[in-house]
Amino acid sequence: MLGIFQNIEISHYIYLSCVLFCIGLFGVLFRRNAIILLMCIELMLNSVNLLMAAFTEYMGDQNANGQMFVFFIMVVAAAEAAVGLAILVMVYRNTKKTDVSFLDGLKD
Amino acid sequence: MIGLSIIFFSAIIILFTGIQKPEKKSKNLTVFSLLVAALFSLFENLEVINTQTLFAWVPSSMLDFNNFRLSMVALVLFLSAIIIGLMPSSEKKGSDLLGLTLFALCGGIIMLGSNHLVMLFLGIEILSIPLYVLAGSDKKNLFANEAAIKYFLMGAFSTAIFLLGCAFIYGGTGTLIFGEMQLKVGFAAHFGEFPILIKLGVILMSVGMLFKISAVPFHFWSPDVYEGSPNRVTSFMAIIVKICGFVAFAQLMSNFEPMHSWYIKWLIPISGITILLGNIAGMVQKSVKRTLAYSSIAHAGYLILFLLIPYAENAQILFVYSLSYGLSTSVMFYLIDKYSTADNFDFTIFKGIFNSNKLDAMALILAVLSLAGIPATIGFTAKYVLFSKAFEYNQWAVVIGLVGSAISIVYYFKPFKYAFVNENLLTNRESSLFTNILLVLAMLSIVVFGLIPGIIL
Repeated sequence: MLGIFQNIEISHYIYLSCVLFCIGLFGVLFRRNAIILLMCIELMLNSVNLLMAAFTEYMGDQNANGQMFVFFIMVVAAAEAAVGLAILVMVYRNTKKTDVSFLDGLKD
Repeated sequence: MIGLSIIFFSAIIILFTGIQKPEKKSKNLTVFSLLVAALFSLFENLEVINTQTLFAWVPSSMLDFNNFRLSMVALVLFLSAIIIGLMPSSEKKGSDLLGLTLFALCGGIIMLGSNHLVMLFLGIEILSIPLYVLAGSDKKNLFANEAAIKYFLMGAFSTAIFLLGCAFIYGGTGTLIFGEMQLKVGFAAHFGEFPILIKLGVILMSVGMLFKISAVPFHFWSPDVYEGSPNRVTSFMAIIVKICGFVAFAQLMSNFEPMHSWYIKWLIPISGITILLGNIAGMVQKSVKRTLAYSSIAHAGYLILFLLIPYAENAQILFVYSLSYGLSTSVMFYLIDKYSTADNFDFTIFKGIFNSNKLDAMALILAVLSLAGIPATIGFTAKYVLFSKAFEYNQWAVVIGLVGSAISIVYYFKPFKYAFVNENLLTNRESSLFTNILLVLAMLSIVVFGLIPGIIL
């Protein structure tokens, strides 16, 4: 089973992560629902995780630096999601919306 | 290092003993611990105390505080003591907000001392996550809600871009440690062309960091966030986040110095646009807070000029510039917080300030002169050393910087139109003795370092 993953070239991993990252990026730029925005940001972070793990395997890093980085990204992403959802709940209590279209009160 | 430990433990104490207490009771303890930590960092820097054995367990490939970094840590701690000390604390809110501010500061110090991409990333996040909470700490205020969610979305978005850059750098160099990265990049420089992975990584990491210091074209979130957040948080964001973010960015870029002539090609235009757009947009603003937000965008542009100068030479001037920017901006935010009301952020809040409160009027004059870079203030010293040094490397960038400074005078001097009117202030609040002492300290540093720049140069 492990062999299959090692036989895939590194370039495929790079393309896959870039595609995943761009899906997340365009989601953040064009979607309006704050929860979907959060999911898109998670997708971006997870594509980075995939790339980090692939690079570690590819370079045969003895200290597995990249994979260690993945754990840190996971922990931080969880903390960020917790704070983000808390902010969303606060906003929902005041506006009864999870849409980011209310973000136009502050203007020049 | 010892500053980081002091701030960390006092943050825990203030967070857990202060949840029930109003903010007012913990404020003095917070400011005191910040000043003590700043003093110890200074001692550590001057090698009065030796902490080598105490912190021998920290691998220097992760966190390494050399002399320049220690002086920046002391500076950041001192500035946050002034920011927190100057702002009045509310009776209603708990002091957990002060604890969170200290935790954010821990993140800033980790960013300053990081020697490893993981530590840099953790520092950015430890700085940002408490600030997302703090930006929305005014729960019922819709503007604060908007600021919080905007700051959160943009912060998380820029972190993701930064991380993709880290991954590419890891793929290109095979290491996450700054020192080894520098070796690899220097090695690649001998073969002429740099690998595409490294170039992409540098661009993406720069975009992430430019988001944090709100340089144009990644600045669109910052005026809204600065305007919506509570005053103390805005002050903290405009000063500490910008200084820590930029110093970390400069340290990161110093590892790619063999590519200097390549990354300068796109950083100089960014700096020029940031200076011009920040200053021109600042001219047309009505609200003081928003004007200062654009002023801080323009200052991000001046900061990027530091990247023109090789890293080994710019340590001292970076310190002076950060000190000048931090002192004058924190005094301005203090005055805005003191005289503005919930629905009035116009320049008219300063009407008659000279008539009613001489000390605050003096502070206003000094802060404005220093921000505009008029001689005899620290702002002039900072801009002078920056421009004269950068002039050796790129003349046009400095010309744009000078034009920007000239434009900025238009909006910095707006308060003077109202300050000397022979009327009384619209809102007059008394400051405590402690606040006034800190204000005088900040004013003295603005004047003394401006008149005798030899002390810090």
